Amino acid sequence: MSERATHCTSSGIPLEEAGSTTFPCPGCFKPIGRSSRVRNQGVPYKCPNCGFVGP
Amino acid sequence: MSEETSLLVSAETYEENAVNIGTQQKSTDMGRFIERVREDGLYLLDIPTTDARIRSIAALLNTFDAPSIMVVSARQYGQRPARLFAEAVGAHSAVGRFIPGSLTNPALRSYIEPDVLFVTDPANDQQALREAVATGLPIVGIVDANNHLRNVDVALPANNKGRRSLALIYWLLAREVLKVRGETTDEAWAEANDLADWESTF
Repeated sequence: MSERATHCTSSGIPLEEAGSTTFPCPGCFKPIGRSSRVRNQGVPYKCPNCGFVGP
Repeated sequence: MSEETSLLVSAETYEENAVNIGTQQKSTDMGRFIERVREDGLYLLDIPTTDARIRSIAALLNTFDAPSIMVVSARQYGQRPARLFAEAVGAHSAVGRFIPGSLTNPALRSYIEPDVLFVTDPANDQQALREAVATGLPIVGIVDANNHLRNVDVALPANNKGRRSLALIYWLLAREVLKVRGETTDEAWAEANDLADWESTF
């Protein structure tokens, strides 16, 4: 995994705190970022590139 | 192309193996994966969505080095398929009791630093989930109608309680991962791997 997201895809906040993660979008492999807060609350995200909606 | 031909296996095969059978409780998170409610109150999961997710998760897992994928299953019926899946794709598996600290405590012999965690049931694999969140790992999980999506980054909506269901999901996932790598075909995979062998014998 080479590219990493710097900001949360759902909330837009920088991915600085522990518990945040970044992974390739299952649809287009562009990086998706998720902050610890949106992960903990199960907030949906939408890939800005391909429209994949997760989790 | 009809829906039937575009599925990885026929809709009947999914139904025979109870992959779409959910639970009598539904979490709000899972609402978008539910197709309908059966007369007896069971929520049925949407088969085309499950099928599409198996494909996309197989592609996602292939973006990681195989040994850096960790598959966990505390649930008995998931242990054999999870282990066989890990063997087939070259991943690491942790079945049965998850030793606390396996992802966070370097002093443990069981310590491992994977890049992605695959859980069979987010509710049952709580310890692995918690440690993966603490270490910032992305989490892929098989989620049933009653599961919450808390801390799950990519969900595979399917029955994660049934013996045959878990066997078919892991069998298909392994096939798709190897197909993306160009290491097998549908026919070769079916010939070399009998689905019945992937079912738990408990």
